[in-house]
Amino acid sequence: MMSNLTGAERTKAMIITGFGAMVGLLMAIVGHDDPMGAHGWITLLFFGVLFFVVGNAFYDPEPTEDRAALYYDDPTKVGIILALLWAVVGMSMGVWVASQLAWPDLRFDAAWSSFGRLRPVHTSGVIFGFGGNALIATSYHIMQRTSRARMPDQISPWFVLLGFNLFCILAASGYIMGITQSKEYAEPEWYADLWLVVVWVVYFILYMRTLARRNEPHIYVANWYYLSFILVVAILHIVNNLALPASLTGAKSYSLFSGVQDAMTQWWYGHNAVAFFLTTGFLGMLYYFLPKRAERPIYSYRLSILSFWGIVFFYIWVGSHHLHYTALPYWVQTLGMTFSIMLLVPSWASAGNALMTLNGAWHKVRDDATLRFMMVAAVFYGLSTFEGSFMAIRPVNGLSHYTDWTIGHVHSGAMGWVAMITFGSIYALVPVLWRRETMYSWKAVEWHFWLALTGTVIYVFAMWNSGIIQGLMWRTYNEAGTLRYSFVDSLVAMHPYYIARAFGGLLFLTGACICLWNVVMTIRRVPLLAPALDYPTSSEAMEPAVPAAE
Amino acid sequence: MVFGHSAAEERSGTAAGSPLNLAQSRAAVRVDDNGRGRCILSVPGIKCGACVAKVERALNARDDVVYARANLTLHQATIVLEGPDTDPMPMIQTLAALGYAATPVQSGADTAPDPTGKGLLRALAVAGFGAMNIMLLSVGVWSGADGQTRETFHLVSALIAVPVVLYAGQPFFRSAVSALRRRQLNMDVPIALAVALALVLSLFETVQGGDHVFFDAAVTLLFFLLTGRYFDHLMRERARSAVSGLAKLSPRGAMLRDEDGSLTYALLESITPGMTLSIAPGERVPLDLEILSGNSDLDRSLVTGESMAVAIGPGDMIEAGALNLTGVIDGRVLRSSDDSFLAQMIRMQSNAEAGRANYVRIADRAARLYAPVVHLLALITFIGWMLVTGGDWQTSLFIAISVLIITCPCALGLAVPVAHVVAAGRLMRMGVLMKDGAALERMAEIDHVVFDKTGTLTTGTPRLGNIPDDPVMRSGAKALAVRSGHPAARAIASGLHDNPSDVTCHTEVPGFGVEGLIEGRRARLGRAEWVAEIADVAAGAGSPAFGFEHCPSVSFDLAETLRDGAIEAVTDMKNAGFSVALLSGDMEDRAKAVATALGIDDIHYGATPADKIDILRTGLRGGHRPLMVGDGLNDAAALAAAHVSMAPSTASDAGRTAADFVFLRDTLDAVPDTWKVARDTARIVRQNFALAIAYNCIAIPLAVAGLVTPLIAALAMSGSSIIVIGNALRLNKAGARTREKPASHVKRKETPA
Amino acid sequence: MTILIILIPVTLSMGAFGLAAFFWSLRNGQYEDLSGDAERILHDDDVPLKSLNSTSRMIVTKETKR
Ligand code: HEM
Ligand code: HEM
Repeated sequence: MMSNLTGAERTKAMIITGFGAMVGLLMAIVGHDDPMGAHGWITLLFFGVLFFVVGNAFYDPEPTEDRAALYYDDPTKVGIILALLWAVVGMSMGVWVASQLAWPDLRFDAAWSSFGRLRPVHTSGVIFGFGGNALIATSYHIMQRTSRARMPDQISPWFVLLGFNLFCILAASGYIMGITQSKEYAEPEWYADLWLVVVWVVYFILYMRTLARRNEPHIYVANWYYLSFILVVAILHIVNNLALPASLTGAKSYSLFSGVQDAMTQWWYGHNAVAFFLTTGFLGMLYYFLPKRAERPIYSYRLSILSFWGIVFFYIWVGSHHLHYTALPYWVQTLGMTFSIMLLVPSWASAGNALMTLNGAWHKVRDDATLRFMMVAAVFYGLSTFEGSFMAIRPVNGLSHYTDWTIGHVHSGAMGWVAMITFGSIYALVPVLWRRETMYSWKAVEWHFWLALTGTVIYVFAMWNSGIIQGLMWRTYNEAGTLRYSFVDSLVAMHPYYIARAFGGLLFLTGACICLWNVVMTIRRVPLLAPALDYPTSSEAMEPAVPAAE
Repeated sequence: MVFGHSAAEERSGTAAGSPLNLAQSRAAVRVDDNGRGRCILSVPGIKCGACVAKVERALNARDDVVYARANLTLHQATIVLEGPDTDPMPMIQTLAALGYAATPVQSGADTAPDPTGKGLLRALAVAGFGAMNIMLLSVGVWSGADGQTRETFHLVSALIAVPVVLYAGQPFFRSAVSALRRRQLNMDVPIALAVALALVLSLFETVQGGDHVFFDAAVTLLFFLLTGRYFDHLMRERARSAVSGLAKLSPRGAMLRDEDGSLTYALLESITPGMTLSIAPGERVPLDLEILSGNSDLDRSLVTGESMAVAIGPGDMIEAGALNLTGVIDGRVLRSSDDSFLAQMIRMQSNAEAGRANYVRIADRAARLYAPVVHLLALITFIGWMLVTGGDWQTSLFIAISVLIITCPCALGLAVPVAHVVAAGRLMRMGVLMKDGAALERMAEIDHVVFDKTGTLTTGTPRLGNIPDDPVMRSGAKALAVRSGHPAARAIASGLHDNPSDVTCHTEVPGFGVEGLIEGRRARLGRAEWVAEIADVAAGAGSPAFGFEHCPSVSFDLAETLRDGAIEAVTDMKNAGFSVALLSGDMEDRAKAVATALGIDDIHYGATPADKIDILRTGLRGGHRPLMVGDGLNDAAALAAAHVSMAPSTASDAGRTAADFVFLRDTLDAVPDTWKVARDTARIVRQNFALAIAYNCIAIPLAVAGLVTPLIAALAMSGSSIIVIGNALRLNKAGARTREKPASHVKRKETPA
Repeated sequence: MTILIILIPVTLSMGAFGLAAFFWSLRNGQYEDLSGDAERILHDDDVPLKSLNSTSRMIVTKETKR
């Protein structure tokens, strides 16, 4: 890894990590009687380790070969491994919290392990840790390959990747210590948020610089999806986290918004996080790796561009469907509902486009578990968007809201779509990235596929059942006109489903562990593929890209 | 291979390395901003991603190539060369080695990006953006936002709508204004009026704090209509680029023979009468010439419709457009390119086309009726409400305008283009390119079909009619025939299945035939008079003949080959109730032979281009609406003069540009198939009109009664548009039932005529 | 809903930004060969020879330009 950095770059890396370590130290000192102090120490440790890793290799031989003739894949490799590590951590937390709901004693009576603290570790761990790292890593790969150009420098990709992981660590460790601003999916406090802004801006600039250097005039559609993910997440993050720290020496801050305004901002953010973190980025992945793996072009490229604009335009408006029957003005709710329903069109266009691409290559899908991951992901994408549009209808939401149905919807999207497409992409990517012939064990891939599918199906069906039962029990009246069931009655009815969910989750987690093992073994055991094929192409970087018909 | 066979094959024949081609490809290199050479090659063989990669890889691997990029849609490769005078010929050879025939694209028009399309797309994007945002605000208002919020929303909508309408509405406003200037009414007049009035009225309402604003309806309307218009444009553009992707048959330059006998390349425009040109075998004659030296055979089928090659020699006059087959000829230029036969034909064609400009498309015909009715209705509404309300002009005006808005013919504006686009897609899959929607409308109206003979009903490749009994003669004739590229020789070679005898020292005498020693005996195959010099040829025997020295000769009968599907096409059209005629420039007996084989009674032969136009004009004047199917240069004017026309992709450049439809497949049943699609489309269009009228029957009373709210307007207009589009899409399904022959399966033979 | 004072302009400007991006892509010729571009990603990796000799050229051009 270090051998790819020149002396100047190593110096730069040491300056940045050294500076980071000092900031950590400063935080540790000023926040010594606040949980923020602990975060200071974590930051110091994080940068300190990196500082020493770089310093240790400072006098190693510098790269001799012409680096520019190759894509820069080191950060991608690290990103993939980090994504899988976070997957194991985040999903373990998921299984744990699922088990807590079935057997509350699993809290072990400690504050840090309470459901309320571990649940966000799960959500942030899987969404940001697993999903985010996978997105960053694959985006590095895709932007270079489709631009046919190497990334512009060696430092900023590392800065983005590792900086983002520091954010994830601060988030997860903060929850356990009780640091949260209690906005879902935006729990971390102000200093972590500020740090993420810096990282994200560098990420955006890195992406744009790579595109600017491209040797291929056309910008492949996957790049548009990734760019929208980066750009919109930046805006959402900034607006939703506008807050005033109570003091600069402590973690606590107060949102600039209050009451229903705050709720609206939160769900404007919240749903766009679903849209631009859990959907567009992963669609970018789909539009690159699915055609690649199936070895056929996307069924309708035009449609993929059209649905991009459709998704981008529609999603912006739908957040208020999370606030049906609240203090939010009625018309704002209706607005969210209307656009949620219209959103189905571009969503299904994307899912259909993916499936039609496979139409005619079903034999490949049958034989290749990697492709099957992607196919199942597209199916679940179609399923969960349909379900979402349905749940956004106000009366339906009256039944589903606050119940496990929402959780079922979330996980049919999150496990069935997000995780499946990520695993499929990882299996497609790892041999290419490390230049191996194949994965270490195709049987393990096959196992992972079936574990993941079974796990998801069990999970989702359990939640649908429990959700609808829950919803119905809560609204059943007796002759006297009072509620028929107490809340505890409904909880008892949930018990078997919670056990089933924990079991399904366990299967899913097992699959993820197998994946990590398989990837590690591929790197360590599988022989190198003889000819190295993956180079940026020819045209001179100086010449502006030539449009086709000029 | 679908596009540009004739070019590929012409080149793979004798002309490949001809000085003219070398010079032409060099002339195709342009200098770009960086002082490097840039050259665009048309490579019809680029048909998949693998081809793209192969072509780019091969070109980029060359040292003299800076950058190469292939375009799959246009079947082109753009190459940036080291210097402006790098020779592009090696690129063409590199591609040829990979199996891709490539020809340089000269004229800028073939590669110019399409500005109208981009403009429309931009307008569409703006309208889409506006429609989305305004719709959002409107949904808010409809579902109960009121008071301050509603007013804010109206204001924001206004701020979005005004620039959006001003920008995206331009295509309609422009078209409406220019129609009004010509004192005519077209579809865009009521549309433009409705949109503009809706905008003004809504602005007024917004300022007044009223609650009836139609911003959403106006902008959504524009969005829908632009969608239709954009697709319509896209379809025409696609056909245009496909037709221009077909190889160019007429040359753009020629080789000048200088005083000292050397050759230089000159563009046609710079050649003046009196200069001497040299034409190699396989090249087309660029200008009208008088032959000074050299003998050859000339394929004039594209020029005159004559199916058989003619021999030429010094003193003969030859017309531009004919194909030189066998020998090198030098000739003196008779006329400059502006006056050549080709130019005359093109002028005749554009004159003939003028008649067609009077054709009014169905949608505009409908609008001529529709617009006055609707506008009158609005006026009556206004007056009526003035009377009822006792002079409340604001309410009256509001209701009158809402009548105009709701009756805005958006469904009509979509009904036709969408059906045409779907039909064009279906035709494209059948291997038929359609120039524009008006052609489809005219096609549905025909009552008479006129076929050209050579190259249309027949393939232009002769076939051997008789086979001599004597095996020695057969082997001998075959032996000489395989050594010539003359179409007659080729027909003989493929018609005889014996093993050819051994031949020593053969020579081809251009314009006469081939001579050689077969097992020691001198033998000739060629023109009867020429063979008679050495052999005994019976008096009056036809050409070509074959004979050994001092022995009796045999003559070969050459018959024309009917194009595949010609019989079916003629019968189909007859069964559909159309009269069918043959219109040929060829001789009587050949025309009659073909007509009899096909069962056509109405025959015109020996027709000059002017005759052809006259015959069609007479028919037109008699109220007939003929479909003309033809291919030659001599047909071009007739194609333009007919009510509607079709040409095969092998037609002359002029023929292809003149025709409304170009079919890429080999078989002639493209003609009945196209007609069927046109008929189905016309039916769908009529249904769509009926739907639109039904919609208006409901909407107008509501509007006149003053019951139309913005919500109803928006729903009604989107609803009717979607219904109309859905109905048009049924055309696609109807297409699945009829037999569709994919163009890609077509295997093409060389058809010079 | 005073929050709309923030959300509407933010969303509108995001939309306008998207529109601008679309315009740019149109002018840049991004949509001139869609079928070819969809295929391109499938054939991008087996180009070592070409890329090698062009990289060397790339360096040469860079140097000469400076
Ligand atoms: C090993 C598999 C998994 C298990 C066992 C699991 C379990 C859970 C549990 C028990 C909850 C809390 C439900 C509640 O509050 O009632 C939860 C919430 C959530 N999980 Fe998972 N999960 C798994 C995988 C994933 C994955 C892969 C993702 C995302 C990529 C994900 C995203 C979420 C989200 C976003 C929530 C919050 C839902 C909400 O607040 O409505 N989970 N999960
Ligand atoms: C057309 C697309 C979609 C629509 C209209 C939609 C709609 C909805 C609705 C109505 C809810 C319930 C809100 C509530 O009652 O509290 C919801 C929750 C959720 N959806 Fe979707 N959904 C869509 C797609 C997706 C996808 C693809 C994912 C993928 C990962 C996803 C993730 C979530 C999450 C995480 C929540 C839980 C939010 C929370 O914490 O309460 N959605 N969605």
